[in-house]
Amino acid sequence: MVEFLQFTLSGISFGMIYAAIALSLVLIWRGTRLLNFAQGGMAMFTTYIALEVIRHTGSYWAGFVVALAAGIVLGTVAELAVIRPSLGRPELNSVIITIGLLILLEGLAGIFYGGQYRSFPAAFSVTGLRAGSTPLGVSRFDVFVAASVLVTTLLLAVGFRYTSAGLRMRAAAFNATVARLSGIRVARVITVGWALAGLLGALAGVLVSPSTFLCPNSMDAIFVFGFTAAVIGGLDSPAGAVIGGLLLGVALSYAGGYLGSDVTALVAFGILVVVLMFRPAGIFSGARVRRV
Amino acid sequence: MYSPAGVQGGHAHGAASLAVDGLMAGYGEVLALNGVTITASAATITAVLGANGAGKTTLLRAISGLVRPRGGRVLLDGADRTGRSPEDMARAGVAHVPGGQGVIAELTVEENLRIGLMSWPGSARRRADRVAALTAAYERFTVLADRRHKLAATLSGGERQMLVIARALVARPRVLLLDEPSLGLAPRVMTQVMDMVVRLSRENGITIVLVEQNARAALAIADRGVVLNLGRVVATADARALAADVALRHHYLGF
Repeated sequence: MVEFLQFTLSGISFGMIYAAIALSLVLIWRGTRLLNFAQGGMAMFTTYIALEVIRHTGSYWAGFVVALAAGIVLGTVAELAVIRPSLGRPELNSVIITIGLLILLEGLAGIFYGGQYRSFPAAFSVTGLRAGSTPLGVSRFDVFVAASVLVTTLLLAVGFRYTSAGLRMRAAAFNATVARLSGIRVARVITVGWALAGLLGALAGVLVSPSTFLCPNSMDAIFVFGFTAAVIGGLDSPAGAVIGGLLLGVALSYAGGYLGSDVTALVAFGILVVVLMFRPAGIFSGARVRRV
Repeated sequence: MYSPAGVQGGHAHGAASLAVDGLMAGYGEVLALNGVTITASAATITAVLGANGAGKTTLLRAISGLVRPRGGRVLLDGADRTGRSPEDMARAGVAHVPGGQGVIAELTVEENLRIGLMSWPGSARRRADRVAALTAAYERFTVLADRRHKLAATLSGGERQMLVIARALVARPRVLLLDEPSLGLAPRVMTQVMDMVVRLSRENGITIVLVEQNARAALAIADRGVVLNLGRVVATADARALAADVALRHHYLGF
């Protein structure tokens, strides 16, 4: 029973990281109907930048903040330079372009930083917390992970729901034609979506890298898990992305805990295949299936 | 006639004329508009009529910027606005309600109305004016006031058209392009929608270009009528004269 609790809590913590990636994918999907295959690569790159800042300044939080800022910048630049020219052209172009961006980022990281694994500091202590004498299986850092993703998600949700900027983004995502005819600069809104996605990816990167260690490919698996979570929740649904992330995190935690850690990737792919076969629009989505 | 005192927000210049001069536009190899010249005087209702495929929808899309014209000009109050983007045209005071989709179904009634505020010039966006614009819309359309926090998807066809027109009222455009607002509506509801359109013109001084399949209903409220066929203008006249021209009606309008 204690084990179950530990797996659950640890699964929630990892699940929040998948949720962050899933949410960034959903943001971009809703705005541009594009799947950003480079999302993990962008997160990896900003984490390297954070590492540089931490090494030079000795301050974790300086690195943290710079990573988030770099995420915003990277998302904006990627959209303006690489994605914008491909909109309105065949969709396969955009798919190939994001994969190309991923390869570019991983290649650049390899050139600048080399391929070896690096450790990345955690914001808080990673010693397991206890309730009385029972080990909970989570640490202060895990709590910080869950809290920071939750706070960011809530801020985004509130922003979307209650601000004019949020209304513009939702209108542009639901019906770009009517939005443009109403004077909404949809192109600008799309850029903001990519900037926010970059921010979320950067957050996921610094939160997961203490556990996975950092190398040019280290975010690939996280991207797959985030993508799976987004598919589970429905690519159109931000709430679904978060719930999907939590469900996946917990499921993988149980699988890894009870069946062994070799199985987690298999379970993740298994879940992805099952969802795509039986409910491809996602569990929470009302949208129809789209053929690529 | 136009502009009750206290209209601070929105477009300060009031009613505007709209003219297209030799406009040509199309899709790929198809030239849907082949040299169309129309003038809509300020604060009037101009009905654009014709069979399916005559180019009526393309005309509106070429004016609002959804389709880039291949030739000719679009003049807003004499100023050349040809080929501007839809966002720029909206901010210049041209509101286009495309056929079959005016509301954003996933947003609430109030959110749809707030979208109407997005085309206001930046300098005019005082909060008090925004609130006043929404309040005025709710006063005129009490049905919407009752449903303001409901999703637009839950509205009936007639209520959606009401929402579309209410949003046009909030946006305070100088020119309103309406593409088949009566489509799919029951006759009684259609009459109500037409009445609302008339009010927009008479009370708010908005210049209206009304594309309609239902020529009879459109000519009943319009000042001028224009008939398109295969991308060209085949008749332009006072609406009553057009309605009385039996030969023309039979030939191009089907009644």
